[in-house]
Amino acid sequence: MKLDRREILKLAAGVALARPGLDGAEAAALPEGKFLKARELAVLDELAECILPADAHSPGARAAGVAAFLDAQLAAKDPKIPEWADERKEVREHLAAIDALARDMFAKGFLELTADQRTAVVAKAAAGEGEPKTPAEKGFKWAKEQTARAYYSSKIGIHEEMEYKGNVLLTEFVGEEAK
Amino acid sequence: MLLRTAPPAPKEVDLTRTYDAIVVGSGAAGGMAAHVLTEQGLEVLMLEAGKKLDIESELKSMEWPYDHPRRGEMPYDRHALTQNEYTIRNPPYAPKDSPYSSVYSYVQGWSGTDYSKNIVVNEKDHPYTGTKYAWVRARCLGGKTNIWGRLALRLSDYDFKAKSRDGFGEDWPISYADLAPFYDKVDLYLGISGHAEGLEHLPDSKFQRATRLNASEVMLRESMKRADRVLTPYRAGVTTDGLKHNKYRSRCFGRGACNRRAGGCDIHAAFDSPTGLIYPAQDTGRLTLRTNAVVREVMVDPATGKASGVAFSDAETGKSYEVKAKAVVLGASTLESTRILLLSRSAAHPKGLGNSSGHLGHNFCEHVMGPYIVGLVKDRVGKARTLDDGRPGGFYVPRFRNLKDKQPGFLRGYGFEGSGGATMMPDRAADMPGFGSSWKKSVRDHAGAFIDMGGFGEVLPRYESYVEIDPAVKDKWGVPVLRFHYTFTDNEKKMCEDMAQTAQEMFEAAGVEVLHVGKNMLTEGWSIHELGTARMGSDPKTSVLNSFQQSHDVKNLLVVDGSSHVSASCQNPTWTIMALAWRSCENLADQLRKGDL
Repeated sequence: MKLDRREILKLAAGVALARPGLDGAEAAALPEGKFLKARELAVLDELAECILPADAHSPGARAAGVAAFLDAQLAAKDPKIPEWADERKEVREHLAAIDALARDMFAKGFLELTADQRTAVVAKAAAGEGEPKTPAEKGFKWAKEQTARAYYSSKIGIHEEMEYKGNVLLTEFVGEEAK
Repeated sequence: MLLRTAPPAPKEVDLTRTYDAIVVGSGAAGGMAAHVLTEQGLEVLMLEAGKKLDIESELKSMEWPYDHPRRGEMPYDRHALTQNEYTIRNPPYAPKDSPYSSVYSYVQGWSGTDYSKNIVVNEKDHPYTGTKYAWVRARCLGGKTNIWGRLALRLSDYDFKAKSRDGFGEDWPISYADLAPFYDKVDLYLGISGHAEGLEHLPDSKFQRATRLNASEVMLRESMKRADRVLTPYRAGVTTDGLKHNKYRSRCFGRGACNRRAGGCDIHAAFDSPTGLIYPAQDTGRLTLRTNAVVREVMVDPATGKASGVAFSDAETGKSYEVKAKAVVLGASTLESTRILLLSRSAAHPKGLGNSSGHLGHNFCEHVMGPYIVGLVKDRVGKARTLDDGRPGGFYVPRFRNLKDKQPGFLRGYGFEGSGGATMMPDRAADMPGFGSSWKKSVRDHAGAFIDMGGFGEVLPRYESYVEIDPAVKDKWGVPVLRFHYTFTDNEKKMCEDMAQTAQEMFEAAGVEVLHVGKNMLTEGWSIHELGTARMGSDPKTSVLNSFQQSHDVKNLLVVDGSSHVSASCQNPTWTIMALAWRSCENLADQLRKGDL
């Protein structure tokens, strides 16, 4: 693969974004979300970046603000409506399940793992995605669907990743002539 | 360049005068009635139950998802019904104690629903009862034409004379030759995009520039041609070349917003009734528009037996009004026009106005939906990014069943709507296995390679399929609601089985990898193509309207919407509704001039 300058910069950015594990002080200083607690928001952010990472082609979920968007959506969903109370509860369970799987596998929380270890946790949770059964598998499935929805509707997802050229005034639709 | 022309200044509503005609409803039917009658020199009052929306600020067709706080979703205190909710209970679907501020039909569960939340009605205010039915309504100026799917098809004598071919139901009292000149007028006045195919069973329109197919669609078209079937570019009620006579509408600029939302075109290249019909009618100086006018009853003069006007209440104040006219033209939509007639009871018309036949409310029909297919065109995987959604629609596959052949399992036929290629946001991303960079690349590589289509089948009009007035339940305005008695039967089930099977065969024959075949029927009503309940016919004993959509019983009363259709055909009805309304309203104007009414 021949990389141009822009791609090398993107790749470098991608590597930089694959963060090393947090130490205790760092974990204690995480910012709170609008709905999610600090640790939940950080787990979602890390998980989303594992699912849709920055790479040579484009920035990933972190740069696209996926976790913050999903958190803001959850905050806007009034828990007096049973559907949203259930969703909020399930999201907490999904994120806790990923953290719990990390502890099972490596005796450390998801955020405290190395990048390779995190990938191993996500790979394990992804193994059952066709028919998720365990809490971590369900958590992965949820995170993948939500990350895809948030990322591909973001500015980065639409313009940089998918290189969408539409939503402009065209003089004519360029297709194939019907014969 | 886009130039927007402001709507015309409204004319003062004068409820003390006798108008030449009152038109009830402002969608495709009402709009066309207003256009034709004002063109013919008549003074018309149009009554619309909903409000006039500033539609450009509703639709915002080109707003990027990320520029909207909820990426286009409506506020979270509102709810769109799911298919499951239509399945597990009967209407009304919005219980009184619903925790949501508004409950909408399923179309508000699509993407971009924040842009149509003021167009589609709140089910809490608009209940109905009886059998399961996914009833989609839009109460505002222009009605459902503000967000319609744009597929604009003609019917043929395979439809108008279907009974003569297979013995079921009734023939229409008109033939294709009667309606063809009016289809032509609709084409030329409103603009339609398509490719002439020369099919007897799907006659060509006076087409403007067709939108092109993309690579996978052309491949499917070529394959189907070998089996003597047709795939044609989406016949869209969209002006692709522009309309010199209409200053309110732009030509299509391929912005591709059409399928990202519930619909709607804020440059009005896609036909909508306000800019296509109502504003030009207002410009004649002969159209008066009264919105927020909930019509409850068509009044009859006991001395003459003729319709004398209508009674309505204001949707906001609840205040009651009456207004008089020489003729009353209902275009409130299939079911809503019938509801008004059923409510217009009097000593002379105890079963509802114009119901001496007992057929009012009956012979209810529509299109059945459900079976669909998704495939992967392997040649397209990993190809350079193409822009495939800059057009009003993908393709249409006209009916091929029960034309020359005779199917053992079912009468009539079905067509498919579909499209291939890339969209703004990749379809099926979360369905593809994996995660990380390899999955990300896979989503990117596959994004332009999917193709899908879904069927629309003719539902037979049966006397036993009907609506009536519910004796107890009323809507927000105190108007008694409809109770449905309508359920799909074996003909629809067999047809849907065939749809799923032929879809799979056609994809396989073209070398498309079949990823999924949906086989289930969707809830009754899903196609939003409800038709019948006040059918036309030559015999007043078995029909409600004559061939000019006039009540057999009350000659100065017309119903010009889909209620009048004798059978559903499998073609989308909007263009036929407008062609019929044009024909009937010219005839009405003629009769009024001659003093025949």
